[in-house]
Amino acid sequence: MSPYPSAKTIYARTSSPGVAGAAWHSLLWLVIANAIGVLIAVLLLSPSLNKELGEWTYGRWVIVHMNLELYGWSSLPMAAFLFKVYGADRGPLAQWCRPALWVWSTALGVGTLSWLSGQSSGKLFLDWSGYARIYFPLTILALWLLIAAALVSGWNSSDNAGLAARSAKVLGLVLLLVVPFLIYIASSPTLYPAINPDTGGPTGASQLESSLIVVAILLMLPFGLTRRKAERSRTIAIAWVVLAAEMVLCLALGRTDISHHRPAQYLSLGSLLLWLPLTPAYYAAFEWHAATRRWRIAFLCWWSALVLTGWVMFLPGVLDHFKFTDGLVGHSLLAMAGFVSSLLIFVLVELLGEDGWIFNQTWSFYAWNGGVAAYVALMFTAGWREGFDPAFTMAPGSMRNAIYDIRLLVGISLLAASVDWFVWATKLVREPSLDSVTSAQEVTA
Amino acid sequence: MLRGNRHVAGWQGASLVAITYVYFLIFAQFAFLKRLSSLGVEGAQLKIVMAAMAIGGILLSLLAPRLNVWSQPNARLRIGLCTSAAAAFLSLLSFGSVAALAESFLIGAGLGLLTVTLVTHLRQWTGSRNPLLLVGLGTGAGYFACNFPPLFTSSPGTQGVVAGLLCLVGVGVSFSVSASTAEEAETERRPTYSFFRVLGCFAALVWLDSAAFFIIQNTPALKAGTWEGSLHLWANGGLHFAAALASVWLLRRKGLSLVLSAAFVALGVACLLLLDPSHAAFASVIYPIGVSLYSVALVAYPSLLAPAASAAERGRMAGWIYAIAGWLGSAMGIGMGQNLGHVPPVFVLGAGCVVLLPWVVKTVRGRQREMVATAVVLLAAFCVEHFVVAVQIPSQLNEVERGRQVYISEGCINCHSQYVRPNTADVLMWGPSESIEDLRREHPPLIGNRRQGPDLAEVGGRRSPLWLRAHFFDPHEVSGGSIMPSYAYLFLDRRGNDLVAYIESLQGSGTVEHVAAERDWHLSASSMAAANAGEGERLYERHCATCHNVNGSTRLIWQANFKRLPPDLRVGPFYYLPPYGPAALRIDRLAQITKFGVAGTDMPGHEYLPDSEIASISLWLTQSNAQLSQNR
Repeated sequence: MSPYPSAKTIYARTSSPGVAGAAWHSLLWLVIANAIGVLIAVLLLSPSLNKELGEWTYGRWVIVHMNLELYGWSSLPMAAFLFKVYGADRGPLAQWCRPALWVWSTALGVGTLSWLSGQSSGKLFLDWSGYARIYFPLTILALWLLIAAALVSGWNSSDNAGLAARSAKVLGLVLLLVVPFLIYIASSPTLYPAINPDTGGPTGASQLESSLIVVAILLMLPFGLTRRKAERSRTIAIAWVVLAAEMVLCLALGRTDISHHRPAQYLSLGSLLLWLPLTPAYYAAFEWHAATRRWRIAFLCWWSALVLTGWVMFLPGVLDHFKFTDGLVGHSLLAMAGFVSSLLIFVLVELLGEDGWIFNQTWSFYAWNGGVAAYVALMFTAGWREGFDPAFTMAPGSMRNAIYDIRLLVGISLLAASVDWFVWATKLVREPSLDSVTSAQEVTA
Repeated sequence: MLRGNRHVAGWQGASLVAITYVYFLIFAQFAFLKRLSSLGVEGAQLKIVMAAMAIGGILLSLLAPRLNVWSQPNARLRIGLCTSAAAAFLSLLSFGSVAALAESFLIGAGLGLLTVTLVTHLRQWTGSRNPLLLVGLGTGAGYFACNFPPLFTSSPGTQGVVAGLLCLVGVGVSFSVSASTAEEAETERRPTYSFFRVLGCFAALVWLDSAAFFIIQNTPALKAGTWEGSLHLWANGGLHFAAALASVWLLRRKGLSLVLSAAFVALGVACLLLLDPSHAAFASVIYPIGVSLYSVALVAYPSLLAPAASAAERGRMAGWIYAIAGWLGSAMGIGMGQNLGHVPPVFVLGAGCVVLLPWVVKTVRGRQREMVATAVVLLAAFCVEHFVVAVQIPSQLNEVERGRQVYISEGCINCHSQYVRPNTADVLMWGPSESIEDLRREHPPLIGNRRQGPDLAEVGGRRSPLWLRAHFFDPHEVSGGSIMPSYAYLFLDRRGNDLVAYIESLQGSGTVEHVAAERDWHLSASSMAAANAGEGERLYERHCATCHNVNGSTRLIWQANFKRLPPDLRVGPFYYLPPYGPAALRIDRLAQITKFGVAGTDMPGHEYLPDSEIASISLWLTQSNAQLSQNR
């Protein structure tokens, strides 16, 4: 027997419309981004198809694909998290969750049109320019206004009882207010982070900095999602102390253009290996919904793989071999489709509670995680070959084509899994909420 | 419930719908026009002849429900089918313009009678089990048959005969339904829509469809990209059939409004795509989907979905729909195609208002908060952007700066890096390397993170403007199987030249030293040992023949633009080789030229090829040239 409720038995939604809606919007963009990913994989195998796309050729679609994965799929579950934490999905303000999500999705639509029509800043991962560069930060600001209003209106509620909860939420709100301005400023073509002179890529210090932001989010998430187990665990305190120590280390490294051959760079990045045992232990100190189990295991596995391979791939010699190859494409996918996606699904399952079944179909779980593992293995293989022979990709032969053929199939597998979740999420948002069903039954009785 | 339905299996209804569509599409709208053209009926004469068809169609569409003679639907259907068959067979004869007028009127009249009678009493032939599905199957099959390559590509005479024979088959089908089958007693009740709204939607859709069809049919570039070749036709047939079934599903699950909206989106997008022939293939996928989506509804609405209280009322509705939307809409669409040669975007917008506005209004009513919030943020962003633009100092970009913007817009950064890693193999291949300070002067630096093509940091020193232009037109041909898409469209305006200017500008101060370093490069002993002349010939064909063979594609296209026409390397001369000397020395120099090109000429390098492949090309060239000298 499966420990998860059968999809067929669900007939009323238990989660709030705000959280369910955020899951639906994020999955919509996941499906679109994955479909574009499949298109990109096809174009790499049959470049002549570009002619059929007019001006919307490969290069423009890659921008759309990356940005929709990043600002659609990877961001909207965080909106669900914030709705829950700040109580925006409950009470009179709950009716504004859906408009906030619509505004966000419209921003992605505006962005997609602008990228396809050739509006680009040339900054990978911060590609907002022209009108979209204004609209997207305003979207985040609109979301911020909603959660700020929710905090104010629920100031005296039981959720905000105690100084610690109130202080944390106010501090969070202040930090979140910086985000839209930061995105606007960081999208400027005149700003560029520190450069590793030996590769043209990020330095060890900047990788450590961005990794620590992810660690901070990982440590903070459980407090918004659930509660600690009854028995005391020192792991939580230890984790925060380690994070603080690593932040000090990061500050000491500075932000200069410096090579990965410097021991200080790769050794400090190696400090992230501490999180291999710490993260699972930290998450074990909290109570989780039973339905999150498989995705919790998945995200912790992907996190371990990411930290370990991330450090190994930064080492002198290894990075020199893999830089600019498919090997790093594989590593990016490990990060985004492996770690980030499984973390987001885990968060969504926890937020959805009993409705988390939409992510727990066995076939889609394995189609996704197996697909990511296969993709990463393929791209590492291709990258390894490419490191010796740049012509491996530039003048494709049968082996490169075979690898890309299999990658296309893997991409279809990822798309199929995401379509499955999206279909179930669509059914879920259309279900009447449990509250309304109960009220109707009471009225009938 | 129907009485007497035990005599009706349903296939009769689907067959009659399919036959009617095939007759209309392959004969009346297609073969007859070609036949008129072959008889010299063109220009103003053709317009008059086609107007006669429209008049016949409109007249009989409106009169059919009011005819007191042939009151039995079966009899009236047979008359319609026989008239249509007769018209098809008569088209095989030679006739003058007056006879063409009469023939055209006959086709229209036959079709008017046939279509209105068929949909008014469709349940007589479909029965009451799944009539909507049968309409979808009939419509899909009709379109599929029209796209069946042997029929589509046959002569107008053959198409006329097939259409006529099918009408006779239709007569036979009508006999297979028992005369005792009575009129249906009630209409399948569906959510009601205003009849005039539906009429307006159908008129807009038929107008768009007819205009698009006419434009494709009369524009060779569009026709080649949409329905020339068996593969296109099979694909079109499959799409039509699938879309017809999808239409049935949508009609059942989502209703008429969504089907009409989806059909409009497909047809509207297709019409906009047809403005640019390079999008014809994309349009060819969307167009049949839109057509089949609404074609099913065009039969299903008057026959099954319209809120008619009686057969007479349904007949009148069908008459108006086919007269106004069918015949007039079609005539207007063809007229637009003839006079404008394209569907103006403003018209698509207007059609969209007719079809989508009620749906949009309904959606907005249920989503007021979402709409208001989105509109407020959109407007706020508009105002802020306006302010930001107003306070910025406008700058006039030069050719290179504009080219850099094109490079960014096209996403070149996703395949090309601009960073030569110092002290690595990069330096010899793509060098020299640039300082971080120089890099930071660029806003933003376009380092990239992936190389699916060469690094471009110093490409201006390695490639001539001609090579770049030829490469942007056809990378696959110029760069031996390159996976880069063609950017020929950039040269339709100034973007192409701007991009070439930008790429040309990508060279630093160390180019002279780098050329010296290239001169110091020599094939290793292991590369020479691995060289294979047979492999060299294959590589030559892939990478070199396009310029160096007399009939090479790139050479033929750009021959007037080369600084000096590339020599045919099978016979020479080899301008940059010492005329005499040991073979090993010649191979080594040839390898240098093959790998790094010749600075200041149009000869590019092949920097990314492994040394063993460079050695193979050089070996084969040396051997084949020596053999030729001996033979001389």
